[in-house]
This record gives sequence, C-alpha cells and structure tokens, in this order.
Amino acid sequence: MARYFENSADGLVPDALSGFARAHADLVEYDPVDGYVTARHTAPGRRVGLLSGGGSGHEPMHAGYVGAGMLDAACPGRVFASPHNRQIYRASLAAARSDGVLHIVKNYTGDRINFGIAAERLADHGITCKRVLVDDDLASDSEEIAAGRRGTGGTVLVEKILGGAADAGLGIEELTELGTAVVSRCRTLAVASAAHHAPSTGERAFDLPAGELEYGVGIHGERADRTRPQESVRALVEDMAGALLDELRPGTDEPVVALVNGLGSVTSLELYGIFGELGQVLDARGIRPARHLVGDYVTALDMRGFSLTLLVAGPAVLDFYDAPVHTPALRW
Amino acid sequence: MTTPAFDGTLTRDWMHRFADSVYATEAELTALDQRVGDGDFGTNLTAGVRAAGHLLDAGGAEAGPSETLGCMATAFLDEIGGTSGPLFGLLFQALSRSASGNGLTSDGLAEGVEQGLAAIRRVGDAAPGDKTLVDALTPAAAALRGASGGTPPDRALSLAADAAWQGVHDTAGLSARMGRASYLGERVTGIPDPGAVGVALLFASAAGPVHTLAPYLPGGG
Repeated sequence: MARYFENSADGLVPDALSGFARAHADLVEYDPVDGYVTARHTAPGRRVGLLSGGGSGHEPMHAGYVGAGMLDAACPGRVFASPHNRQIYRASLAAARSDGVLHIVKNYTGDRINFGIAAERLADHGITCKRVLVDDDLASDSEEIAAGRRGTGGTVLVEKILGGAADAGLGIEELTELGTAVVSRCRTLAVASAAHHAPSTGERAFDLPAGELEYGVGIHGERADRTRPQESVRALVEDMAGALLDELRPGTDEPVVALVNGLGSVTSLELYGIFGELGQVLDARGIRPARHLVGDYVTALDMRGFSLTLLVAGPAVLDFYDAPVHTPALRW
Repeated sequence: MTTPAFDGTLTRDWMHRFADSVYATEAELTALDQRVGDGDFGTNLTAGVRAAGHLLDAGGAEAGPSETLGCMATAFLDEIGGTSGPLFGLLFQALSRSASGNGLTSDGLAEGVEQGLAAIRRVGDAAPGDKTLVDALTPAAAALRGASGGTPPDRALSLAADAAWQGVHDTAGLSARMGRASYLGERVTGIPDPGAVGVALLFASAAGPVHTLAPYLPGGG
C-alpha cells in the first residue's frame, strides 16, 4: 500500500497539468477545458504541426516534450487511458500549420481509434492529417499478438527526430515517411522487478516474489509473458541488448542512439550502472553509441523497472536529433 | 420533377424518433452489451441522443437537414465516451456533408452512409464479419444504393432498416474479433452485436419509434 499525494484519483491528471503549465509558463500553455497542452514557441519555418498524446502516467511524456524543436501539442488522457477524440481534434486545430498536422501515435487500440476519429473530423474540416505509428516494443513482437507491437520508450526519440525535421521545413508526406522509417529501425525492451501502485487504491498492480523479474513488460503495468530470476545486471543487459541488436542488425558504419530509461522508481545509481553495461556490450560488438540519453523519459507511474531502446540512425536522422530543442523535459 | 428529399423538419423528426427509440430500448441494449461488451453501450447511446437533443433545440426550427445532422455528429463525437458512440458521430458527419445543398435525398443517403461506413472502417479497422456495427451498416448502405434515383427517402430508409435488421441477425451467428467481445470467444455466439442494433434502430426510426427490440432479435434477444 502506497497512497498517492493527490486530492482525488480523478484530480491527479488535471491538477498535475495545471501545475505543469504554471511551472513552465514560458514554454507551454494548458487548455483545461479541452485538455491539451500547446507550445508557446515554434520555429517559423515549421510547416507541419506535430501532435502526440496518450494515457497519463508516463511523465514526462508527452506534455514534457511540448516546446520549441519538438511537439506543438500534446493531449494527455486519464491514467493509462486514451485521450478522447475531442481533445485530439481540438488540439489538432490549435497545432495545425500550413501543411497540416502530424499525429505521433503509440500502437494501442484505444489510441488508434481515438486519433483516427479525430483525423476523420480534421479531413471533414479540410485539414491534412497524417499519422506515424510508433510500435517499438520488441517483447510484443509475435505472430500471436494481432494488435502488433506496443509503442513504448522509443517514442521520445521519434518525437525528437521529427521535431528537428519539422523545424527544417519538411512537408507532411516527407515527415510521415521519415517517421515510419525511424520507427522501423528502433526497438525497445523493458524489465521490472516490481509493479506500479494504482492511483485509485495504492495497491501494486501485480506481485512478484523477491528475486524475480518480469522480462518484457509494457508501460501500463501489464505483466510480461516471462518471469525469470533476477541475475547480475551485466547478464541482464547483455541479454536485452543482444536481443535488440539481433533484431536491428546495425551496420558497422551506422550510428546508434541509445536510451536507458527508468520506468518510474529506479534510481540514477542503477540507471548509470545499466548504461555502463550497455556501453560494454556495444564496445564488444564494435558498435559505438553516437548519442545517448540516461534518465526517466517514458515512465509507467512508479514501476520499478527500466527499458533499453536502440535506434539505428539513417542518413540525416542524427542531424535532426541534434537540432536545438527547448521543452520542459528535453533541452539542448 | 424535383427529387424527393427530407427537409430540415423531416430530418429532425427522424432524429427525434431515433432518440425515442434509444430511450425506449436503453435497458435492452444494456442487457445485450453486458453479455458481449462493457455494458455501457445503452448508456452511451442515450447520452448521445440526449446531448443531440439539446443541440437540435438550440439550432431552432430553421436549421436545414445538413445542420441538423451536423448537430447529431457534434453531439456523438464530442460528448460520448467509449468507442461505438463516436463512430455513430462519424456516420452523422458524413450524412451531414451529403445532405448539404438540395436536402437529404435517397442518393444523398446512399452517399452519406457509404462515406460514413468507409470512415468507420478506416478508424476501427473492422471488416464485415467481425461482429460490429459494420455488419448492419454494410447491408444498409447496399440497400440505399439499390434504392437511389428518385426513390423517396422514407422508402429508401425502410429498405435500409430491413437490411440492417438482417445484418443484426447475422451478427448473432458470429464470434467477435474486435473489442472486449473478442476475449469471450464462442461465449458470445448467438448474441447479436449491440452496435449493429443501434444502426438498425437509426434506420427503423424513420418510419416510427421502436418501442422494444424483442420482435427484431433472434430468439427474443
């Protein structure tokens, strides 16, 4: 039992968004009626509005990535629940630019349907709307899963790269193509040694015996298909990185972007240790991570776990990744 | 000769009768959805027609058929949770577009329902046979297309209603691939899809409100 510091379970998300907008008033604006966050500053050359969204509980994603060089708007749903099509529609109207609006959608049925309904409304309104579907989770890559791979940690990298590309003035067709290509070379794998606590009850979403971990978790507290003994972090990272590299097969001259991501309640001490191990795996295989991020970027409330994301950066992708960004959660 | 068309008043009358049908059958829709879904479909559909009623009242007596159907679209898209309710909104959105100009003709009905069906299929990724509202909307669209030309809209809608009820019957024989019903496997076979029933109610209400589902459902529902 671990009670949340909240006025009510229903108030958790709107209260946080009000505070978030107050804390970052120089960067973002929050519309509490229609439930979306917009950027105060965008590059003048940007022709396409970038919009993302999904359930809350993954902070700093998505609202934390609204700002110059990244998202023009984000619509957070309730905890782990898709935003309503109305939020997405209204946010899209606010974010659309001369060449329309691009939706960056994680592959979940609810998100796909609600973003899809909003896209039909936008089309009826004469606004061009395209979609980049993020489905980077290697653990859900199975013939038996009809819904396909889940969208997880790689989303932040995709949003950053598309932000740089949008600032460079790419049109909506080029951005859609680029985003789809980037996703196809990005995979994530996550593990957890304890579930998150539910905001409504304060209880853990599931129990794990001490010394065991879930291998292949998502970001909604769903269990993995495998439970295994918790071994040394070196052996664990070797397994995870090995699986990602076997899938991605980067060429020796291809730059790799690495993300070591905390899922909510793993310490920095651990995350840097994990990054060190990942570096050794890549060194041993002759792969040098060209860029990296270490920290909490895409969380699952207070799940005790982490994810590894590797992204093989094609031509120009690294330049878009390096382009300036100034958002509440990402800045360079 | 002018093509027979629903004007604003006739379109509004149809929508009010649809609302009456939904209110009258809410409990039956809920009972159906408790067996195959989340159990919230009756409530969501009722919330949709209630929100639409407020918008139709605010629109006044001068609103044309396109504005009237646009009010329905806004209500179902903006105010309803779940998935099926907003999908009805997409149907109304397409009908509103096809009714702009000369009123709602049988050609406009065919065009609007086909466009609405296409949008719903794009969004929901559902095909005929998946035990969804698509299974009632697809035969209704075909019936409307077959009836187009100079057919009066009320006659075309009556044919669409017959086709939609047949589609409802057919969903009872299917197991589900989409939504929560898809986890229930063979246990939902024999039970018609509530979303498909909602579609049939819409078309059937053109002739008059439906007071109970029992006569229309296989095995008494």
